[in-house]
Parts: sequence; C-alpha cells; structure tokens
Amino acid sequence: MSLFRTTGLRAATTARFIAPTPRIAAAFHTSQKRAILPVGPQVIDGTVNDPAPVPAPNPTHGSYHWSFERLVTIGLVPLTIAPFAAGSLHPITDAVLGATLVLHSHIGFQACIVDYIPKRLYPKLLKAARWALNSATVLVLYGLYEFETNDVGITEGVKKLWKA
Amino acid sequence: MSASVLSRSALLAAASTRSSIPSAVRGLASVATSQAPPPTPESKAPRVKKFQVYRWNPDHPEKKPYMQEYELDLNQTGPMVLDALIRMKNEVDPTLTFRRSCREGICGSCAMNIGGINTLACLCRIDTDTSKATKIYPLPHTYVVKDLVPDLTHFYKQYKSIKPYLQRKDPPPGREILQSIADRKKLDGLYECILCACCSTSCPSYWWNSSEYLGPAVLMQSYRWIADSRDQFKEERKAALDNEMSLYRCHTIMNCARTCPKGLNPGLAIAKIKKELSLGHS
Amino acid sequence: MSLSRTAFRAASQLSHRQPAAASFLLPRLQTRSAASTTPTTAAEAHSLLVSQRQKRPIAPHLSIYQPQLTWYMSSANRITGVLLSGTVYLFGISYAVAPWLGLHLESATIAAAVAALPVAVKLAIKATFATPFAFHCFNGVRHLIWDTAKELTIKGVYRTGYVVLASSAFAVTYLTFFA
Repeated sequence: MSLFRTTGLRAATTARFIAPTPRIAAAFHTSQKRAILPVGPQVIDGTVNDPAPVPAPNPTHGSYHWSFERLVTIGLVPLTIAPFAAGSLHPITDAVLGATLVLHSHIGFQACIVDYIPKRLYPKLLKAARWALNSATVLVLYGLYEFETNDVGITEGVKKLWKA
Repeated sequence: MSASVLSRSALLAAASTRSSIPSAVRGLASVATSQAPPPTPESKAPRVKKFQVYRWNPDHPEKKPYMQEYELDLNQTGPMVLDALIRMKNEVDPTLTFRRSCREGICGSCAMNIGGINTLACLCRIDTDTSKATKIYPLPHTYVVKDLVPDLTHFYKQYKSIKPYLQRKDPPPGREILQSIADRKKLDGLYECILCACCSTSCPSYWWNSSEYLGPAVLMQSYRWIADSRDQFKEERKAALDNEMSLYRCHTIMNCARTCPKGLNPGLAIAKIKKELSLGHS
Repeated sequence: MSLSRTAFRAASQLSHRQPAAASFLLPRLQTRSAASTTPTTAAEAHSLLVSQRQKRPIAPHLSIYQPQLTWYMSSANRITGVLLSGTVYLFGISYAVAPWLGLHLESATIAAAVAALPVAVKLAIKATFATPFAFHCFNGVRHLIWDTAKELTIKGVYRTGYVVLASSAFAVTYLTFFA
C-alpha cells in the first residue's frame, strides 16, 4: 500500500495510523571502522557554556613552521626544474636538491602524523611516530650523503635508471 | 447580556457548519489541508520519489544506525527537501527527527548532508528524477543525537573561544565607532555567516581533528574580527591562532567554500589569516 | 477578557445540550499523566547526559560525501606525496644500511637490473613513477599560488585544478615515452 496520504486530514483521523514497515535500504556499520583510527566516544570538557581552551601561543609550531615550509617548497621549484633544464647538476647543487627534498618529505610526513594521530586518544603512538620519523629522516640524510659521495648523485642516478 | 447572546448564536451557527475534525489534528500542516474537498489524486499521475534517510534512536543505542526508505508523491510536496522531510514526519513516520526553524535559509538549523553535499534542507531543491533515491545523512563526522540531529556543542564552544565580539582598548567614545566605507567593505562576505556548520563538517581536517582544529566557520569568524578596523585586539586574536593545531590543520582542501549554502568563502579567509600571521598583513 | 468569559460560559452551556458541537472550545480537562517521574539532581542529570554522549555514533563521512575535485585532488596530493617520499626514504635508508645488510644498491647494479626487464614493464614502471611525480609537482605550484590568496574561489580552484590535471597528463606522456 502506498505510504503517502492523498485524502488529507480525514484519512488521518478516521483510519488507524499505520506505522510504516521500516524498509531498511542499507545496514550501517558505525563509521568507526572506516576512520583512519577509531575516534572514541564523545567527550565534552567542562560545561556547554565554557569556551574551548585556547592553546598558548607557539609560533615555532605555528606561523614560523608554516613560513619555513613554504620557503622550502618555493626553493624546491627551481631545484626540480634544473635537472630537466640543464641535463646534469653540479654535485653540490645535487646535494642541495636532495637535502631540500628530504626536508620537504619530512615536513609532509610530519603533517600526516599530526593530522591522523590525535594526541588525546593516542599520546604514546603520536610520540613514537614522531620519534620514528625523526630517526628515519636522519638515516635518509646519511644515506643521501653516502649516495652523493660514493655513487653518482640523484640527477645522474635517476637518469641512468630512466634510460636503462 | 447581549454580548453573550450574540456569541451563543455565533457559536451555534459555527457549530452547525464546522466539520467534526477535532482541533488537535488541525495542528498538522499538510499540503492537502483546505476547507474545499481536496483535488482527486487521479487528475495527475503521482511522481513517486524515494528518500533514504539515516536513522538512529538513542533510546535503543545498541541498535546500529540504518537507512530507512520513504516514498513521497512530489506532486503533493513542496519543492525543497525540508518540505519533503516535514511531510515524511507528519504523514508517514512521526518519529523522524530533525532540526528546522525559519525555512528560508537564514537560521542554519536544517543543515544536513543531502545527496552527499552539506547544505540547508530548506534551500536544497528536491532532485525530481524519480529513478534515483535521494540520500539524507546528518552532518558528516558529528556525534549523532538522534536521526538527523548532530551535536554541535563543541562547535559552539570553539566559536565562543575566539571571542566573537568587539574588543576595544580605548574608552568608549560616547558615539558610534567610525569606520570608513572601504573598511566596512572588508567585512562583506564574512559577517553573513549563519553558523550552520556545513563548511566545518565538510572539511576532512575537521573530521580528523575537530577537538583542536577550529574549522572553517570559526576561523572565518576569527578573521571577521581580525579584519574589523574597529577592533583593537588584533594582535591578541592572531596570537590565539598561532599554534600547531588551531589554524594550521587547514591544508586548503576548499570543501568549505564548495559547500557553503550562503555562498561564502571560508578558505579564502583562512588564507588571509595565514598571510597575516606570517607577513603581518593580508 | 470579558467576552472570552461569556464565550466560555456559552460554550459550557452549549456543551451540556450539544456535547459534540462546542467541545473543541473547552480547555482540555486536566488528567493525571500516566508517566511517572523521578526526582533528579543536577549532578545526576549531568551524569546521565555524559553516559548518553558516550553511546552516540559518528555520522558517516568519507563513504557518503560527494566526490568533488576539491577534496579528491587534495587527497591525491597527499597520497602522491607519501608515495614519492616513501620511495625516497625507503631507498635512502636501504642505501644507508646496505653495507651492514650485504645489499648491493649501487646505481650501476640497479640500472643493470632494470635494463634486463621487458620494454612493457619498463614503460609501466616509468608511468608509475612519473604520474605521482608530475601531479604532485604541478599541484604543489597550485598550492603556492593559493598561499598568496590568489585563485581561492570555487572558479579558481576548478580552473587551476583542470590545468594541473592536463599538465600532469602531458608531462606523464612525455616522461614515459620521450624522456
């Protein structure tokens, strides 16, 4: 039977109200499963009238970090174009390209960690991830140094593999 | 005495002609309400549209949320999704729960996710293609109070935290605080926000970090006060945002501007705040 | 005021004679409600609210939000960035610890291994690396333009978005087949 009323209020008063059979179009798993990490139940700090806490000013992780990140990205533009334009790079320029690339990657990974690991729910995991990233970056910088000194460098290396 | 005679005869006259529908039922609003007999349904072929609506009942919290399907004849329904929701609630399922108030896109109560986009139900036209169902969800990644009602407590707490009022250091001048036309123009596109939370709940960064990241709505209001020439606490307002999480979780995804039902641009306001903090000007 | 009282009196007189006619004018009689109430302190009410909050589900997000250029390209920027940086980090760390693990990761060795692969596989590998590289580079420039607060309207976002996608397509074709 149809679920809509065409006969107006009379039908509502004279007929018994027939509850619609719930036609369940899709069962829902709570989206906790789809989240990158489970979110946890709702917690409100203080009363509903208290403003959310304002963190202490921290420009090192705020505007200075943002400005530094943009400077690195801007610097990366000519450094990335140079190998394509010049064909090969001076070892020092190549090392600068490598270091800037690693710095850019480090900042990028850091953004992912801060975005996806909430401090309140997973403080230890957050700390461990930061530590792991810092260690990885140091190791990569060392590996880059070795590659520049004992091997051909980034530009030459990529060119060799590309044209192999 | 004559007044009572008049009123008695008036009542008698009214009682004989008025229908026997009790007054309690008259409270239901419906398109089909009228004194004249309603038009016969066979005059126009019914356009039946399916709506799939997110349901969850806090009285039975162990039961997982599910989608419930409703069918409505679009010929009997107003053009907007809110008209459809009200008809569903009045005529099909009174337990369907949602917020609404002004029905004209100014109060922000009926903000929800319709067809995958956050918008106001009272401003969103029903897609008249009857071969497709319209899916209606609450605002994404919010805690659901019931059915389509999100809990916006934290959103309001965040709004309060940015001190959304004029702050002065000078003593009050005893008259209006003057502002040039050019300075007033800077507030256009900022002050019109109705705090419906469509933008903040469309932002993936706000999904992952709503506890510390303020979100586009609150940040745009923050800029509204930073950009106001009459406000004298600019540096303090900027300092409140200068930390790792409050502002800088914005990665210029721009879902906010895409979804704003009032046509505002929070993403641009946030970019201007970032410029203010790094360069000292926007 | 007095008129309503006379009306009320008239209605009650009427309702004695014709109960159905004017009953809608009388106020409903007070009935004792069937539901029972329990006295609750403010603290108890608050703890009830807290327990209710804990059971609330989270409204769906990624699975139901409409695919749009805005967040799809932003996700792609992050994913390509992580892929590229992940490769750099993987190679960097492997090269750093190679002596201790006995690996041979010199560029000459790897180049020789790649050269031995069939042409189709080589083209596929090139395309696999060229795509995220080109997209991420061009989208990065788009982000830098946004940081100057330019092209930050819906029109600007879509315009620059299509330019990035077109440029990436050209760059991938060139890098895979002609570089």
